[in-house]
Amino acid sequence: MQQNLENKVITLEEAVSRYVTDGCSLSFGGIIAREPMAVAYEIVRQRRKNLTYITDSSVEPAEIMIAGGCIRKLEAAYVWIGVVGIGHNYRRAVEKGIPHYLEIEEYSNYGSSLRFLAGAIGAPYMPTQSLLGSDLVTHNPRIKVMEDPYGTGPVALVPAAQPDVAFIHVQRADISGNAQIWGMLGNDENIARAAKEVIVTCEEIVPTLEFRKIPNMTTVPSYCVSGVVEIPFCSHPLPVSGYYWMDVPFRREMAAASKTREGIEAWMDEWIFKIKDHRSRVEKIGAERLKKLRQLEFDNYRIPRIEG
Amino acid sequence: MACAKEYSTSELMGATVARQIRNHDTAFIGVGIPLIAGVVAVATHAPNAILLYEGGGIGSRTRRIPWTISDNPTTDNALAAVPIWRVLSDMQRGFVNVGIIGGAQVDRFGNLNSTVILGEGGSYARPKVRLPGSGGANDMASSARRTIIMMRLEKGKFVERVDYLTSPGFLSGPGQREKAGLRGGGPDMVITEKCIFRFDNQTKEMYLKTLYPGISKDDIIQIVQWDLKVAPDLDEVEPPTEEQIRVMRAYDSLGLVLGKKSTGQLETFDNFYTKIKSAYESIPLNLDH
Repeated sequence: MQQNLENKVITLEEAVSRYVTDGCSLSFGGIIAREPMAVAYEIVRQRRKNLTYITDSSVEPAEIMIAGGCIRKLEAAYVWIGVVGIGHNYRRAVEKGIPHYLEIEEYSNYGSSLRFLAGAIGAPYMPTQSLLGSDLVTHNPRIKVMEDPYGTGPVALVPAAQPDVAFIHVQRADISGNAQIWGMLGNDENIARAAKEVIVTCEEIVPTLEFRKIPNMTTVPSYCVSGVVEIPFCSHPLPVSGYYWMDVPFRREMAAASKTREGIEAWMDEWIFKIKDHRSRVEKIGAERLKKLRQLEFDNYRIPRIEG
Repeated sequence: MACAKEYSTSELMGATVARQIRNHDTAFIGVGIPLIAGVVAVATHAPNAILLYEGGGIGSRTRRIPWTISDNPTTDNALAAVPIWRVLSDMQRGFVNVGIIGGAQVDRFGNLNSTVILGEGGSYARPKVRLPGSGGANDMASSARRTIIMMRLEKGKFVERVDYLTSPGFLSGPGQREKAGLRGGGPDMVITEKCIFRFDNQTKEMYLKTLYPGISKDDIIQIVQWDLKVAPDLDEVEPPTEEQIRVMRAYDSLGLVLGKKSTGQLETFDNFYTKIKSAYESIPLNLDH
């Protein structure tokens, strides 16, 4: 019988409206780099509410979804803006309840990572020797410290995370959802296996033959995946290995706008609510600018061409 | 090696931290000034050190500093790129000799807070100041064989008791890490822009060991909020070398890690592009080491 790959290609708007429902739990792949910004913008644009955002460390996606009032609960190790400044939107929500207070369940990066690992292998929890003796345990009742029943001493247990939906942004995918990640891998292999529904967003859709040439590079196999969306420059202003550098001035402008609630509201109007779709946003950023971000990356790294 | 004639306090701190990364160390690099310290160490005295970035990049060779722990240069020309859970497991397993972390508050036993400043009447859920949280700092403090703490010496930061214990030092004193089940060695020193503190082997308490040029013992004592002990053989820090300063300025040409990060000074995109491109083009990439 002839092989007929299931075509799972959908649009970004469709992926968000169908899979991100009010009150659901959500995770993104990547960590500070390669996070799916275009998805975060679309979630804000569709005004999703009461989401539980489960992450290791997150920058602008967390900031913008907090500013947009989409997140009710954070399960995270770190939320900030990193090298460009302060996480003003996170601070305003926690300190002043603007736009509203957040429920916070905190872990370390390893604790968060092990939660996705547990979720991915179907284990209820994972033990670790991180977290012990810290106030992460004091203020998060979901971290349990117990004696190892095999007698090695205290261990901290972290509960499995199985988000309702995860968006994993990758460099290359095929139409059925096989996905290659180049450079930094994040916790994506586990998030893709832990989540109930997975949408792969990619810089480029490539023929399945590209996967057969180098099967060790398939981080996410298609059977984990519900939908595929091709979104060039999806992570902008964050970087994607082999495709583009971080747009530092753009990040600084958003961070500067974030200093006041009025500032970030105006910024969201300009970059989210008054923008029709991702393609229009890319046009607004400017082809010349994006070409330069790509050039900076090409000067330093290119995905190796695999001969057939 | 010739000493640099002029340098900023951030650069002095960066150079001092870089010196702590030894040749053949496996060093875990967290966010902030450690990003430059690691690159400087490898480009100068420690070409065989392997830098592990939290995003999973191992042993990269690059022409600029990574701007985050997962930025593209963390895997450029790397020896390996592994998932986050894997690189952090390698640390828990004991492969990491040294981890470098920071915080907003530290106490006499080297316990760090990077989560919340409570303020008057504040609580964990409703703090005066919310900070980023642990990231991987708790994991480094728990499991690296030794940790180096990097902080600015400012009022309100060196406190009797941290508002929230994010990353464990020696907890409440000798034997407490072992009792809690922590496997890593705990803090080895605290590097600031005015002095270096070490920890007493017996009491596990932080004491003043090294002063920077032009700083007196009293300058330090009046900022630290507990009754600080001072080493009888107090010494003075080595200034950065010309080479260290040259490397720092080339790799962090925009000053993103070493200062100038005020969001008020918005660079135009074209400025950013031209400056950063010419900076990395001036750096030879030697992949033999």
